[in-house]
Amino acid sequence: MTRSTRLIAAFFFWAFALYLFLPLMVMIAMSFKDSNFIGFPIRSWTAGWYAEAWRDGDFIGATGYSMVIAVVSTAISMVMGTWLAVLLTERKFWGRGIVFLFTMLPAVVPGIISAISFRIYIRILDMEPGMAAIIFGHAVHNVPFVALVVASRLRTMPKSHVEAAQDLGADPFVAFMRVTLPFLQPALIGGGIFCMLLSFDDFIRSFFLGGYDPTLPVLLFSKLRSGMSPEISAIATVVLLVTAMLGLWAERRMRRLERG
Amino acid sequence: MSKLIQNRRTFIRSATAAGAILAAPGYLRRASAQSGGEVNVWTYDGFVPEEFARAFTDRTGIKINNRLVDDQGKQFNLLAAERQSPTADVVTVAGHRFLQFIDSDLIAPMDTSRLENWGTINPTYSESDWATVKGEKWGAPILGGSQVLAYNTEMTDAPETVSWDMLFSEEYANQTAYIVQDIMSIVMLYMGYDGNMVEYLDDPDRAAEIVKEARDFLISKKPLVRKYYDAGAEIQQMFINQDIVVGHAWNGPIAKLIADGFPVRMTIPKEGSYAFVYTYNVAADAPNADNAYAFIDAILAEPEVGAMMSRESGFISTFQGASEFLSEAERASKSFTDEEVSRLQFFRAEANEMKYGLVDRAVEEIRAA
Amino acid sequence: MTEIDAARGPAGPERNAGGVSVWARLARSPAYRGLATLTMSTPRRQFWALAVLPILWVVFTHFAPLVQMLRVSLLDAYPPTIGKDPEFSVEHYRVFFEDQLFFAPYMRTLIFSTTLTFCTLLIVYPVAYFLARHVRRDRQILFLLLLLIPFWAGEIIRSFAMMLVLGNNGAINIVLRWVGLIDRPIPFMYTPFAVSVAIIYLTSLYMLLPLYSALEKIPQNYLEAGADLGAGAWTRFWRITLPLSLDGIAAGCTLVFLISTGVYAIPVLFGGPNTTTFAETIAGFFHVAGDRWPTGAAFSIIMLLTALAVTGVFNRGIRALQKDKHR
Repeated sequence: MTRSTRLIAAFFFWAFALYLFLPLMVMIAMSFKDSNFIGFPIRSWTAGWYAEAWRDGDFIGATGYSMVIAVVSTAISMVMGTWLAVLLTERKFWGRGIVFLFTMLPAVVPGIISAISFRIYIRILDMEPGMAAIIFGHAVHNVPFVALVVASRLRTMPKSHVEAAQDLGADPFVAFMRVTLPFLQPALIGGGIFCMLLSFDDFIRSFFLGGYDPTLPVLLFSKLRSGMSPEISAIATVVLLVTAMLGLWAERRMRRLERG
Repeated sequence: MSKLIQNRRTFIRSATAAGAILAAPGYLRRASAQSGGEVNVWTYDGFVPEEFARAFTDRTGIKINNRLVDDQGKQFNLLAAERQSPTADVVTVAGHRFLQFIDSDLIAPMDTSRLENWGTINPTYSESDWATVKGEKWGAPILGGSQVLAYNTEMTDAPETVSWDMLFSEEYANQTAYIVQDIMSIVMLYMGYDGNMVEYLDDPDRAAEIVKEARDFLISKKPLVRKYYDAGAEIQQMFINQDIVVGHAWNGPIAKLIADGFPVRMTIPKEGSYAFVYTYNVAADAPNADNAYAFIDAILAEPEVGAMMSRESGFISTFQGASEFLSEAERASKSFTDEEVSRLQFFRAEANEMKYGLVDRAVEEIRAA
Repeated sequence: MTEIDAARGPAGPERNAGGVSVWARLARSPAYRGLATLTMSTPRRQFWALAVLPILWVVFTHFAPLVQMLRVSLLDAYPPTIGKDPEFSVEHYRVFFEDQLFFAPYMRTLIFSTTLTFCTLLIVYPVAYFLARHVRRDRQILFLLLLLIPFWAGEIIRSFAMMLVLGNNGAINIVLRWVGLIDRPIPFMYTPFAVSVAIIYLTSLYMLLPLYSALEKIPQNYLEAGADLGAGAWTRFWRITLPLSLDGIAAGCTLVFLISTGVYAIPVLFGGPNTTTFAETIAGFFHVAGDRWPTGAAFSIIMLLTALAVTGVFNRGIRALQKDKHR
């Protein structure tokens, strides 16, 4: 690799990071603004909005609720998404195109349409709106993303690996668990983080499928009606810090595991 | 066919078992609450003051499940989607949207004799022409709002009596914003017509002509407008970010800006404007209808609760005597001079089907132009 | 460490102690063996064991809710008014084709989504490339996580923060004025530019993951071989890296295109009077006029079919390109 391509790529990377982080820094600055609205100029500063957010117990409950939904729905999407990816890349069968199309559907239906059609659908299934329904909605929506990422990695897996394992007497299931799954690890990690993110950030499905407990975005949306206050920025900043720390911790652990 | 559905149900049940198990604590909690009585309320943030909710539950043992909504259309869609097994007891419908909810059988007529405190409501609201539909009352008015013209006092020089002209003038080109759906009624009023279109109920051709005229006016002013917006938080932010200096808005969001010390003023321009009222309604086939009445009656019991709701939401309380519980500054940001109030008209729903049939299309055309 | 090592890693000799015994014990247990004979004794059984559950899943959870939407789009009114059963009607589809009005936002959405997809690709490709090829392998996940952090703040908050960056009195204008480059603020907000900046913020995430995973798995020795044969950096990129990352490009562009046809909140918040998208048109039928669900549903189906057709053609093109390169 020449030095110049490396420099150019590095420049792009850090410029891109700046683009992503600039709004974030603005948001964090606003959470300390002593006013009921975010916006420049900031004339006086306060940490009071954090205390306010803490006193406002709703937000802690909503964050926990959103987290549980994100984790459970991600687990379901990852199992189904991987399963579908394996079926679609490793087998040729009649109707494969249709199964592929059906797999991708939830990713392409506009949010509001999918939310309303799900709302009608869970009524037909006799399912109550609430946590289970939101998890169901999020899980279905995220399956295509897992399937896509996993399939694209699976396609590059040398056939010989699995065959070797089977030659050594492993049945297809054991071969999958011991050879394919480890090979898929990066795709699974990426897909998993992505699903959690989508679930955590989703407003429209949570709104239509939810019961009386709001998820975090639903809570924030209703608070937004009375104005974009620094309290909302403070809540987002806390969420951000917590998720960033969780992410770093998970990454560290993973690296340690890999080293053995 | 029924067998297939049966199978499908079993399948889905097992497929979502994991979710159901996790959700169990929620259901348990709800079940236990039910034994002590509960009421499910769908409303906007700030419409059920926390202090009130606590006192209400302490006194009656009825638990309030407050579901926050942020828009009439979404509330309608949600109620409609739940039509076969409603969970809502109390919903919050704007007076001029009554017909839509009534026609789809989503809210129940209100038996005002079950509300001891009905008299708390200012008769201007409770006895207004829109409040009675098909000979029945359908909701208890709680908070009102009106459309206003708002302007940045430091970056504009407005005369004492303002006209809607300000919103369409070259002087503030690309520094204005309005809610295009709502400005249609205002434009009709501005041009000297009835923005409720009730006058033209028997003359659909005339109505179409008027909407067309309003539409063409807005299309001709399109190069001057910065933004067609939707949400209150948007216009607040546009003022703060100095993206606009004049705007058409609902009074609530602007009141909050004023209360925060931002140099903005709002007024009812000389051509007049429209006002609406939020009401608490009992949902059709509400599972806890008795508790719904108990809840609404308790809300109406004290003017001070009205003042709290007004403070938290930015809208104007419909309760008699509520303003006595507001501070001087709060009153200034939430009320108008008598002269301004005299220019206000309520939205009416009688001609809505015709009006919005025409207006929705005109709005599409304005956006597409 | 190469891919192959990574794949072998957990099963490799140094980690045998725990691993093997678990699988061996499992393989020996009678319940598992019974199940294994049932599901894996013949290829046909293997196929069914693999296929039944996912196919049921997609049919009953991915497809069935959409059938509901299709049904609604073919009714004359929904939600039904009391005392009147809804009737079958294709009126709502006809509206789209007969009325010029909806064509502009429809075309605008298609053109806009295509452009945005292309821009996202151009912006994100170097980023993914840097991540996959110039960052130490054990640091890559960390860098990736770093880029994902802003997304946890949530779409709405991110959007409002972005407005504070782009506004007349926003961060960029303040800095430009302070530096002395301008004396009147530049109106960034409520233009196609603002919409693009905000949408690319969102879509870059969907582009980054597939691109990264495609670039990351290109074996280093291919490029070394290329260099040994005297290929310059540009040639190596053009002849090796790009063709081998076509899969990732295809997946990323497909996702980004489909998502940008459906984004609703961003054009609403950042768009001006002349940027109405088809998603806004559709949402209008559900939001503003509560009784026009069928029209909204019909328009959604039209948008969906168009988007699927476009991505189908695109993917076919990529596949043809891949075959070409292999020859």
